[in-house]
Amino acid sequence: MKKEYKVIGKPIPKQDANIRVTGKAIYGHDILLPGMLYGAILRTEHPSAIIESIDVSEAIQLPGVHCVITADDVDVNNIGYKRDHPILKKGEANCTRDEIAAVAADTKEIAQQALRLIKVNYRIRKGVYDAFEALDESAPQINKFISGKFENKNIAEKFHYEHGNLEEEKKKSKHIVSRRFTLPRMTHACMATSNITASFNNIDKKLLLYSSTQVPFLYQRDMAHALKMNPSDIRVIQPVIGGGFGSKLDMHPFEPICALLSIKTGRPVQIIYSREEEFIASPIRQPMVIDLTAGVDKDGNFTFREINIIKDNGAYTSWGATTPFVIMQAFSSLYKVKACRFDAKAVYTNNIFAGSFRGYGNPQATFALERVIDLLAGELGMDKADIRLLNANEKGEVTGQGLHYDTCGHKECLETVIEHSGYRTRSLQNNDKRYKRGIGIASMLHVGGGAKIYRSDGCGTTLKIDPYGYCTIITGSNEIGQGSETVLAMMASEELGIELSKIKVINTDTDVKPWDVGVHASRTSFVAGNSLLGAIRILKEKLNKKAAEFLKTSHFDFDYSDNMIIPVNTKEGIALDKVVREMHFSAPNELAIASFFYEPSSKFQDKDFKGNVSGTYAFAAQAIEVEVDTYTGNVKVLDIYVAQDVGKVLNPLLLGGQIEGGILQGVGYALTEELLMKEGRILNPNFHNYKMLTASDIPDIHFYPVETLDKEGPYGAKGVGEAPLIPTAAAIANAICNALDLDVLDLPIIPEKILTALAEKKGTK
Amino acid sequence: MDFEIINPATTLELLGTINELQSKHFRFGAGYSDLLMELKKKPEENLVVINLSQIKDTAFTGLTISPDHVRMGAMVTAHKIVMNEQLNKDYPVLHQAALTLASTQIRQVATVGGNLCTASPSGDIACALVALIAHCEIMDSTGKTKSIPITDFFLGPRKTVIKKNEFLNGVLVSANNKLSKNIYSAFLKIGTRRSMECSVVSLAYHIQTDDDGDIIHAGVAIGASAPTIRFAKDACDYLIGKRFDHIHQKEKEEFATKVLSYADPITDIRATAWYRKEVLYNLSKSIFE
Repeated sequence: MKKEYKVIGKPIPKQDANIRVTGKAIYGHDILLPGMLYGAILRTEHPSAIIESIDVSEAIQLPGVHCVITADDVDVNNIGYKRDHPILKKGEANCTRDEIAAVAADTKEIAQQALRLIKVNYRIRKGVYDAFEALDESAPQINKFISGKFENKNIAEKFHYEHGNLEEEKKKSKHIVSRRFTLPRMTHACMATSNITASFNNIDKKLLLYSSTQVPFLYQRDMAHALKMNPSDIRVIQPVIGGGFGSKLDMHPFEPICALLSIKTGRPVQIIYSREEEFIASPIRQPMVIDLTAGVDKDGNFTFREINIIKDNGAYTSWGATTPFVIMQAFSSLYKVKACRFDAKAVYTNNIFAGSFRGYGNPQATFALERVIDLLAGELGMDKADIRLLNANEKGEVTGQGLHYDTCGHKECLETVIEHSGYRTRSLQNNDKRYKRGIGIASMLHVGGGAKIYRSDGCGTTLKIDPYGYCTIITGSNEIGQGSETVLAMMASEELGIELSKIKVINTDTDVKPWDVGVHASRTSFVAGNSLLGAIRILKEKLNKKAAEFLKTSHFDFDYSDNMIIPVNTKEGIALDKVVREMHFSAPNELAIASFFYEPSSKFQDKDFKGNVSGTYAFAAQAIEVEVDTYTGNVKVLDIYVAQDVGKVLNPLLLGGQIEGGILQGVGYALTEELLMKEGRILNPNFHNYKMLTASDIPDIHFYPVETLDKEGPYGAKGVGEAPLIPTAAAIANAICNALDLDVLDLPIIPEKILTALAEKKGTK
Repeated sequence: MDFEIINPATTLELLGTINELQSKHFRFGAGYSDLLMELKKKPEENLVVINLSQIKDTAFTGLTISPDHVRMGAMVTAHKIVMNEQLNKDYPVLHQAALTLASTQIRQVATVGGNLCTASPSGDIACALVALIAHCEIMDSTGKTKSIPITDFFLGPRKTVIKKNEFLNGVLVSANNKLSKNIYSAFLKIGTRRSMECSVVSLAYHIQTDDDGDIIHAGVAIGASAPTIRFAKDACDYLIGKRFDHIHQKEKEEFATKVLSYADPITDIRATAWYRKEVLYNLSKSIFE
């Protein structure tokens, strides 16, 4: 029997919605400190060039300019996941984002004017803009800061994984399909552009940063390493964040640059990107080429998958290079497959570098895999839904990679969307000459309980109740728009019987809050939720003891409801605030406070990338119907049926928001969004030509949550944030192929690609 | 972005301002939905912007519908066109072009005059007005006006016939033919998203038939397919006298080929010339499907 909750599972609006929609929210852009200067960054004019000289003399003399810095003026360490990224570039420029110099001035306009006065002499050289060319022996070494531990000088990172007997499974295969898939550069396009305000106190030598990082404690450590400081001398405060989606997982050069400008001037300095700068200098989803070969036996069972991936790393290595951790999971463990061999290389080029992006490689992997599953079904003459159901993951399964599916809604998700979309019964009415309809199915697997890729994937909570019965949750986790503040407050309200208006969540200050690894891997509700529940348990023991004393009862089992503590099965209780006052003000004078650190049961993977990396796993399936205009190539997404194994619905409103937002990002990935590049330069650094979809493009989304009640999750919940966008592009591509009998291998599927494919099929192009 | 701004309050003041500034570099600002973007991208030295948005004269700001024609002052906004029911009934092509322009917010400020004088090959309202064979009312700094057919207005991308001492005062569209029984009129805009989109290809048509269903008037214009918006005259002439609902496949193709003969598209970041031609041909046929 399902447990009845008072708050959990209810459609409670996001607690910060009011301040956001009324303009009261304080974003990084709104911060104004006394004596603050404005910073600006000069970037290279050429994506690949020798920097022969930099002359800042005129810029320094401009009235209102306080400081101009170049690499020669600072003593710093490289940044980035591989420490291969100089904060300010010296001697050479290797990509169009490269920071050559920075200025701090009284106004933004003076700072911009000063940038124009800096003279840089470049000797332009031929760059390498294709990862395959970069692997050629004759290619120059692009990044000089790596140890060269791989066989090729331009390999930044590589991954190899395998399970099962690949050759054996190849022999057992009735059909084998091979395809090469090409995935584009997609940018986060956060509503708030990148921003930072740095304030260095040159009396006590402490640095205060107002930053929109997703991972404050890792950021504090990275910043300290970059600036050669002690991490604890750096305090990170997060203002309201206008979009993360993974873009703020890495620390980017503009952030230590802003700190350096503040250190040099002794004044607070703020750097805010323009929208164009945001397109040029913020991270992207990794572009990659995936070669996938997969087999199926005569009965439709998947036999093997062989994967080779070349990722365009760009000039420097970010967390983006580690996406194969997630990509290999999809290939090794989404649907049952007996053997898998996976190789991925991140290759340096003179292109812009990637970062992390919601889904972390999984949308790319799922697109390739789910396209090939349709092709395998076609070869076998098997129904595309049946082949998926036959091979779907199951509860209790331990995959080749060692993932434990203690709960698993994969099959139920597939069955749900197959049923609700009318996949088996619908007629496509495809007799229209111009408009053709199709339906596509895709599913996905993603971590649902964090991902142990650091020594700790944990989160700390300190919880207090004050003498007025208000509760303060001091949590390590932070809010980047995903709704964690609301969900945590709901959990406290449920457990302590305190209404939401009396619950405060403190989560923005590294000097105050306990450790947490940060917002990523769809982990916050799961990890921070469990951490909070742990703290609540401890605090309740203290409160129970005091309440029992007060009520002179031997009862130790209490209900917390309507701000009262009531012994179970009785009516007479005591007000919560009264118990707290008793604790505080009568002997032995104790605080109503508790701390707890939650570490998920997940394990570090071994050197072969095997092990149960997450506390639990999330599954989802989507069935999408499209209508393609064969006159123009335009694709209209008609209906999206989504079923997602969320463990337990904590808040249907917030969950719906994650689903809709994720799906729209997925539709953009499928159909319209791509940062176009030529010779290392971005051709469309604006919303005019970077085709992000708008409200008028939202299709009908039909969402069916699947509750599997995972014993590890808070109330049974799993992580939900990334999943909704992961299968969308795959399902749309499958639907278009279904409508037009095409073999789509690239994203985004823009109208011109469709018309070209149709013309080639007809032999008219 | 740094410029001086002058705010004439009447047409008379505007004439004076234009006269005074003849030796200076000036631009007109109406809704600013294009101008600010342009100046942000490419700042202009010693620029004076003549702000037209404070002028209240109805000839400049009003929309009037009389038995013979519709007259729109240059400052009529896209929103005003969208909201006018009579325009929607009589000239669906104009209504649809205004409605597909950018977004609700931008339509509040974007003006007819701006859309025409920017002379973008992909201008939406401009394309509809070419299909409607509108006339442009141009006033010079002495206050004299002349009317020229819109087909003579555009000289090239971002170039019009307007001289330095002139400005666009308004646009006139003739009333539909008195014998016209049915109107087949639409603006077909092709892009990748449904709003905030700049046409990759557009086709505007306004066709009138008599009691028998015979075509007595045809106006067809193509956008984003040539250096300027073009009126496909041969294609229009070809339709006269034909029954609108009896145009067979071969005639459709011939019509589409005639429309296409006016296209001279470029390949740019948004599409190739091949794609633009392919779509234009298909859209032309689709009018009769």
